Amino acid sequence: MEQTSTTKDQIRQFILQSAQRKGVSTLGDDESLSQNGVMDSLVIFRLVSFLEDTFNIRVADEEIVDENFQSVNGIEKFVESKLAKKAN
Amino acid sequence: MGFLLQHLAESSALRLPDQVAVWARGASLTYQQLEERSNQLACLFRQRGVKKGDRVGIYFPKSTASVVSMLGVLKAGGVYVPLDPAAPATRVGFIIDNCKMKALVTTAGLLKRLDPIDLRFVEFSILGEDKSEDTNGATVYPWSTLQSLPASSPPELPLTNTDLAYILYTSGSTGKPKGVMISHQNALTFVDWGADIFKIQPEDHLSNHAPLHFDLSVFDVYNALGAGATVYMIPPETQLFPASLAAFIESKGISVWYSVPSALVHLVIHGSLKSRNLEKLRLILFAGEVFPMKYLRQLADLLPNAELYNLYGPTETNVCTYYRVDRAQLPSQDRLPIGKACANTEVFAVDDRDQWVTTGGTGELYVRGPSVTNGYWADPEKTQKTVVHNRFQQHYEERLYRTGDIVKLLDDENYDFIGRRDSQIKSRGYRIELGEIEAAILNHPAVKEAVAVPVPDEEVGNRIRAIVALHQEVSISAVELQQHCASRVPSYMVPEAIDFREVLPKTSTGKVDRVRLASEAVTPAT
Repeated sequence: MEQTSTTKDQIRQFILQSAQRKGVSTLGDDESLSQNGVMDSLVIFRLVSFLEDTFNIRVADEEIVDENFQSVNGIEKFVESKLAKKAN
Repeated sequence: MGFLLQHLAESSALRLPDQVAVWARGASLTYQQLEERSNQLACLFRQRGVKKGDRVGIYFPKSTASVVSMLGVLKAGGVYVPLDPAAPATRVGFIIDNCKMKALVTTAGLLKRLDPIDLRFVEFSILGEDKSEDTNGATVYPWSTLQSLPASSPPELPLTNTDLAYILYTSGSTGKPKGVMISHQNALTFVDWGADIFKIQPEDHLSNHAPLHFDLSVFDVYNALGAGATVYMIPPETQLFPASLAAFIESKGISVWYSVPSALVHLVIHGSLKSRNLEKLRLILFAGEVFPMKYLRQLADLLPNAELYNLYGPTETNVCTYYRVDRAQLPSQDRLPIGKACANTEVFAVDDRDQWVTTGGTGELYVRGPSVTNGYWADPEKTQKTVVHNRFQQHYEERLYRTGDIVKLLDDENYDFIGRRDSQIKSRGYRIELGEIEAAILNHPAVKEAVAVPVPDEEVGNRIRAIVALHQEVSISAVELQQHCASRVPSYMVPEAIDFREVLPKTSTGKVDRVRLASEAVTPAT
């Protein structure tokens, strides 16, 4: 459980920083990041680098799609599944 | 005889009533349906008092209703103004007030964001899918009102092709956006050229990548409508992810693509194009900024059958020059020319001595012809700076547009883009006046001096950095200042980084030394 909340917190914090620069100050974990204007192409690739560095995972271009990056919860799920695959 | 933009859709509806005209977010409209809906909308506008020349805002995320709205406004004799649903409410409010919009097509959610003061001239709004529960006391009609109205063509109005069709607001150097007025003739000069040179057919599937307030979308929408082809509006969540975008191009069988280079650069780098079957993609057009040659070569290799064109032109003239990429020359070219003038357009460069530039010379590019705008809405002062009398011909009154772009005339009669003569820059294809960003920063009470500088970047053209000096005994963080900017300018204009200095360096004349700050931003002091 401990691990789960840490992952989400780190992701949320990173996204919230980008969001603040765009004038979005609050962020629900299920909120669509493409609809609230937080995501743009620069943010996405910065976020991918952040995830790769922070969680020591490799994100393929084919994985950088809306289904994996829809919301804070969605990104967390994606990262968790990558970490689980790595552990196996 | 078609001489108004709406005639393009009308004639296609007669020839191909059951062909799909527009696809967006899983919904589509045939040409017949598009005609009927836009006639109904025009009827509603007229019933509610919209008259020839009245401005109507289109303010909601792209959908099939966007095209219905554009045509509906035109058929009512109005002038539509596309508004960015992602832009700060203060900026949208400024535009609504600036051109004294009579009506808006919007959603309840977006309408609620606006300051009622900015809506003082707006008599009514038409709401899209939303229910009209709380709309700040504004007069609203739901979209469903259209169903009960006649779907036949509204009575003809005495319109000519010199009447305005739409106004596109672009970044303004003094801190406020300015509205470029585009007539039917201005737009059709470009659309007719595009139809002729790119041979758009009813079988073509055109993508629409650019936002509707950006003039690249004019090609996507009107060249599709004119040919009886289908325009596919790319959903925003697809647009963000190169791999999703590549899948979209494949699954929708996109044959004609037009976007800023940075969208294509992202596709090349992250789109896994090799794993896609994109053989239907026959034509790729790009405009808005310089395409980095390294990625253009990769794109050409990935899509060996597509024709590639570099289009050039400011909003004030739409596209005015074009260059067809020559695959044989591509390996040896270190930059891509902007090419030669489009049909029905003349371009020439003028040097410092006000002489026409000859081969090998460099000067500012001027544009002549029916594509040139009448100027900026309600701003004769700004208009006369760039839309100028043709001093090279004394026999009658004629307009020229001075682009502010410095070009070189090459041996083969193509023009090469060299740079700007002012502080306008491009980032992700958006045209940005650094002055507008500086005005937004300076608007904060803690800020004493501010300069915005471009940092060249291969993927997006330029990234923006700001250097700021604060008043004594006040403090503010970079993020707070970015938030402040985000409430005034669109997100692509918010500086990615803000550096604080005690004072900004000055030139010998006492002005802020922009050149020094810009070069320091590119190579940070160690």
